[in-house]
Amino acid sequence: MIIIGEKINGSIPSVAKAIEAHDEAFLRDLAVRQEEAIGEADGFIDVCASVPPEVEFDTMRWMLDLVQDAVDTPISVDSPNAECLAQLLPYVKKPGLVNSVSGEGNKIDLIFPLLAKPEYQKWEVMALLSDDTGIPKSAADRLRVFDKIMAKAEEYGIAPNRIHIDPLVEMLCTSEDGIAMVEEVMTTIRAKYPTIHISGAVSNISFNLPARKLVNMAFVCLAIKAGMDSAVFDPLDKQLLGVIYATEACLGMDDFCMEYITAYRDERIAAVTKKK
Amino acid sequence: MSKVEEIAAAVENGKVKKVAGLVEEALAEGISATEILNVGMIGAMGVVGEKFKNNEIFVPEMLIAARAMKKGVEVLTPALKEAGSEPVGKLILGTVAGDLHDIGKNLVGMMIEGAGFNVIDLGVDVPADKFIECMKENPDCKIVALSALLTTTMPAIKNTIDAIVAAGLRDTVKIMIGGAPVTQAFADEVGADGYSEDAASAAELAKKLLAEVNG
Repeated sequence: MIIIGEKINGSIPSVAKAIEAHDEAFLRDLAVRQEEAIGEADGFIDVCASVPPEVEFDTMRWMLDLVQDAVDTPISVDSPNAECLAQLLPYVKKPGLVNSVSGEGNKIDLIFPLLAKPEYQKWEVMALLSDDTGIPKSAADRLRVFDKIMAKAEEYGIAPNRIHIDPLVEMLCTSEDGIAMVEEVMTTIRAKYPTIHISGAVSNISFNLPARKLVNMAFVCLAIKAGMDSAVFDPLDKQLLGVIYATEACLGMDDFCMEYITAYRDERIAAVTKKK
Repeated sequence: MSKVEEIAAAVENGKVKKVAGLVEEALAEGISATEILNVGMIGAMGVVGEKFKNNEIFVPEMLIAARAMKKGVEVLTPALKEAGSEPVGKLILGTVAGDLHDIGKNLVGMMIEGAGFNVIDLGVDVPADKFIECMKENPDCKIVALSALLTTTMPAIKNTIDAIVAAGLRDTVKIMIGGAPVTQAFADEVGADGYSEDAASAAELAKKLLAEVNG
């Protein structure tokens, strides 16, 4: 599982406060703890300012500088503004993840040509299956957006293994068919593109439900089975991370369960959350 | 860290690919095949067995260590032959008639191989006749190890030992037994020479029994 650590995001109130107060220590600490939690796994630390457009570039630059100073883990540069993302890439020291593009507007036409350039050949990109009509309701419509994205990828020479597809995980509590639709999107994509990454924001699934962690865990198991191999979540959640490792072992993706055992030995996963 | 210590560490940590390379390097440096085997591998598997016995490591960690050792021995075999180095002894192993369980038996086999034995594994559901036939074919084999995982197949251990007695071969071997329901009391009752409760102890027991045979 490619772990995209979600904790440095201005939409989280404590992080918004830290950004507002220019609290470098707070953000550094979040970066370091996530890097430890990611351990030897592949992963990115997401950096998202969630501030008004006029201050976004400067805020992101400040955040990127201090996170890159604190950790070596590649960065997921996160903004809904593709122009801002394009401007930020030169300030990221090692290849990371552009988070994100989608079928909306000219996002892809801004980002893909950039990623085709030699200096960004090792960068990866998150692509959301939404377009100018919003978030498509049916699997067929989301797959249509997917096909358009892949046609563009081919046009610009972006290999599937550089692309993380976010099929858009929505809250379970208002769904009429559980996760069936998103599962269909995942399995279809996985069958077509064995090397593509299938991602998503795990905790979206449990929005508005009690004991959210349980729902997140159930979802992640089923999503891995459906082909998910990349995910945006809190890597400090040792139970969720543990379920991910356990699921991969159950699916025969972990030789001798050694990744599971190693994660346990490194205290990155746990069956219960220790009380402090 | 010396080359041999590096090999031991790689075996302990189950680093298959690393072990093969290190063994080649050690041989190129002129370290004797026997030292590589005894210290780098058998010694390392002893440590692994001890850790397993103390619940410090899990079964897969023991498995990958055994796999790493196997790979190392593969690379080492030509040099060992050249040096005229022999396995410490032969041992016949099998799960008794009517019992199809092989995981525990395989672990025991690996750990005993790890102790430097040449293990002849007859598999599962092995009738007494087959053990006896194998003993006749391998008169230099001094130890027979019998496994049973079920209370219902434990009597087959006794039957096998009785058949070995009837064949007049009882004095030629030491017999050790094991398996989840097996106890020391059962071993005494059926006239076995030894019992061990886990794979690591089985390797130690095999060495102890061999020492008794060799006086």
